[in-house]
Amino acid sequence: MLGDITLGQFFPGDSPVHRVDPRMKLLLTALYICLTFLVKDFIGYGLLLALLLFCTLLSGLKLKFMLRSLKPILMIILFTFFLNMFFAKGDRVLFAWRFIVITEESLYFAAFMALRLVFLILGTSLLTLTTSPIALTDGLERVLKPLKLVRFPVHELSMMMTIALRFIPTLLEETDKIMKAQAARGADFDTGNLLQRAKAMVPLLVPLFISAFRRADELAIAMEARCYRGGEGRTRMKILRLQAVDYLALLLFLALLAAELLRQRLL
Amino acid sequence: MPIEVSHLSHVYMPGSPFSASALEDVSLRIEDGEFAAVIGHTGSGKSTLVQHFNGLIRPSQGKVLVNGLELSDPKTSLKEVRRQVGLVFQYPEYQLFEESVELDIGFGPKNLGLPKDEIAARVRQALADVHLPEELLQRSPFDLSGGQKRRVAIGGVLAMEPSILILDEPTAGLDPRGREEILSLIQGWHRKGRTIVMVSHSMDDVSRLAERVYVMSQGRLAMEGSPAEVFSRPDELLSMGLDLPAAAKLRAELAKKGFALPKGIHRMEEIETALLAFFLKGGAA
Repeated sequence: MLGDITLGQFFPGDSPVHRVDPRMKLLLTALYICLTFLVKDFIGYGLLLALLLFCTLLSGLKLKFMLRSLKPILMIILFTFFLNMFFAKGDRVLFAWRFIVITEESLYFAAFMALRLVFLILGTSLLTLTTSPIALTDGLERVLKPLKLVRFPVHELSMMMTIALRFIPTLLEETDKIMKAQAARGADFDTGNLLQRAKAMVPLLVPLFISAFRRADELAIAMEARCYRGGEGRTRMKILRLQAVDYLALLLFLALLAAELLRQRLL
Repeated sequence: MPIEVSHLSHVYMPGSPFSASALEDVSLRIEDGEFAAVIGHTGSGKSTLVQHFNGLIRPSQGKVLVNGLELSDPKTSLKEVRRQVGLVFQYPEYQLFEESVELDIGFGPKNLGLPKDEIAARVRQALADVHLPEELLQRSPFDLSGGQKRRVAIGGVLAMEPSILILDEPTAGLDPRGREEILSLIQGWHRKGRTIVMVSHSMDDVSRLAERVYVMSQGRLAMEGSPAEVFSRPDELLSMGLDLPAAAKLRAELAKKGFALPKGIHRMEEIETALLAFFLKGGAA
């Protein structure tokens, strides 16, 4: 019943993109986001598109899967597009009817903003599609390490994220099972108005909460039984080390960033 | 009316790299009033198969006909199918959610849109059917013991008064006494004329109760027949990661020692009578 929900959308693979160190990937994604906001015209977007296509081809992912990640936010993109189209200011009127005025500038601006959203989502999807959730939290822990100086519980936070990610499939499976069990007793989750649907969730949520608490309890005991006591002095089985591919990727991104900035300066 | 499955196949997450075939070209027929058992290794597709019987999974390939209702037809009312076919999942106590036993058992009948007094009557009947005292009606289901919780959960399905009852591993995780109680309850419902489909790992339970056994292996129906027929093919069962009932193992051990009892023996009572017959005939080791 929940088969169409793709959470933790990681696609396993062994491409250069998959092999980039998660810390580097986080940094590159940050650079990519900066680049998306720096771009001021469609030529810049051409550059972004080339980068994105290059990375996607390199990663061996199907374009279909990349585009699928746009589906959940399609409404937001369309909303932004129309809002900007109707309300951005401009001089050259293309279409006017009562209070609706579309100008050439507003159309340009609307397309520009919508594309920015598209590029943001596609770029960050590439990160989550090619990085396993565990590697991602691992990378995040290392990237956030400086925050320890201000007593921010970095290790605890990443452990919480790891556990949360680990339990998403388990809880989804459990939800599916309870949904089916209640459906077998005639429960109906799909029809009725909003209030009825909210009420129909009770037979699903109560057992789900109970089992989530039970699992949390069991996990805590299992971790204590194996002497877990937090981050201090903990060593790692997999130590992250930067490789040639990481530096190459960084170089590529920095070069693109510089090229774009230079182009904007000169033209 | 029987359950008829013809050429049923099912693929999980088709079209993605995670796609997995759970059922492949399964055809079977379970008669009215029959006690059928579905056995198979973990992941053999038995749960997927029985979830087709009450429309929790719509057949994507092949046909499922239950009590004359064609489940692959999108116009078929799933509510009607689920009224006629009760499905008790593994560890059904995890589906309890209401404040009281009465409300929880009444959840199914309420969903059927029955009037209040009918619901109350069905709740009482279901409670009696699972041999629980009426004092429990106002208690919270979460305060009960493990065995009681399970019986309340099964009662919640019985209250829908299905003519076909499917139970997925009904004795999993129970102590020997709880097991015994549940099994004798199931036997009682069968004697009252209900069709029972039991998914089980326990060969002893199957050999004791089932009239017909369906063996699933890697999504296919590997064997089908009476318990005597199925349990007289130990090598095939073992190769599928399954076991034999204790009595069938004993028969094999006895055969090694020279006591040649007839093949297909799978119940302890049968061993007893066969041994007696063996000695009376004057057979010797």
